[in-house]
Amino acid sequence: MLVLTRKLGESITIDDDIKIVVVQIKGGHVRLGIEAPRDTKIHREEVYIAIQDQNKLAAESQTPTLVKNVAKSVRPS
Amino acid sequence: MIVETTRFGSISVAEEDIITFSEGMLGFSKIDSYVLVERTDDSLFLWLQAVKKPSVAFPLLEPQILDRNFKVELEDEDRKALKLETNLSGGKVFCIITIPTDPTKMTANLKAPIVINLKKRIAKQVILHSQDYPIRKSIFSDLQQHCATNQRTIFPVADTTSYQAIHISEEMSTLTKNI
Repeated sequence: MLVLTRKLGESITIDDDIKIVVVQIKGGHVRLGIEAPRDTKIHREEVYIAIQDQNKLAAESQTPTLVKNVAKSVRPS
Repeated sequence: MIVETTRFGSISVAEEDIITFSEGMLGFSKIDSYVLVERTDDSLFLWLQAVKKPSVAFPLLEPQILDRNFKVELEDEDRKALKLETNLSGGKVFCIITIPTDPTKMTANLKAPIVINLKKRIAKQVILHSQDYPIRKSIFSDLQQHCATNQRTIFPVADTTSYQAIHISEEMSTLTKNI
């Protein structure tokens, strides 16, 4: 991984069209400003990780047979 | 062909009904072939079953049942990957459901639904970055209410339950299984 040191207000560029600026440094937080083409996907990593984790849980969903056994107690009357 | 599954036994599937997720699902990037499976009797849920991985299957629901105002705004990149010309014409959206051991705690992921191009049988799990939807929405009480209103049961109880592959056709975009 490439590691760079930047000061407040300094930036880095990626390719010709992506620019990341350090907007604020406060406490343990760094605020970043990002300029990029519209179709560039930018996201907080935790959103992807949360969806991956949720998919893994979903893929282990209760088998219908077991669900069937509890269905008797939960089905609306 | 016959698809072996841990939940539904062996299911006969026509090649043309296999759906390709070229990028896989998030966290399952190596699995690209799935088939939609439904109970032969009345049930709200569909299952997205991995063709070559018997233990991997995702329960699905149509999102409108969970949130009447749910709307997918596809980003250009997703629309291109799905080869859809306009936003969602020819596409079908499903939400992935998590059914834990206690089914009353089931949740729906509205943030990252799957979209299927019904004509080309390609699909993608999209992330609705610009829309503020939850990844874990509790749905059991809503479902119960929906079922009571429509005289349905969430989990139909049958002595012999069998499952079949769903034929993928463009008509699916207008047919709604859940209503």
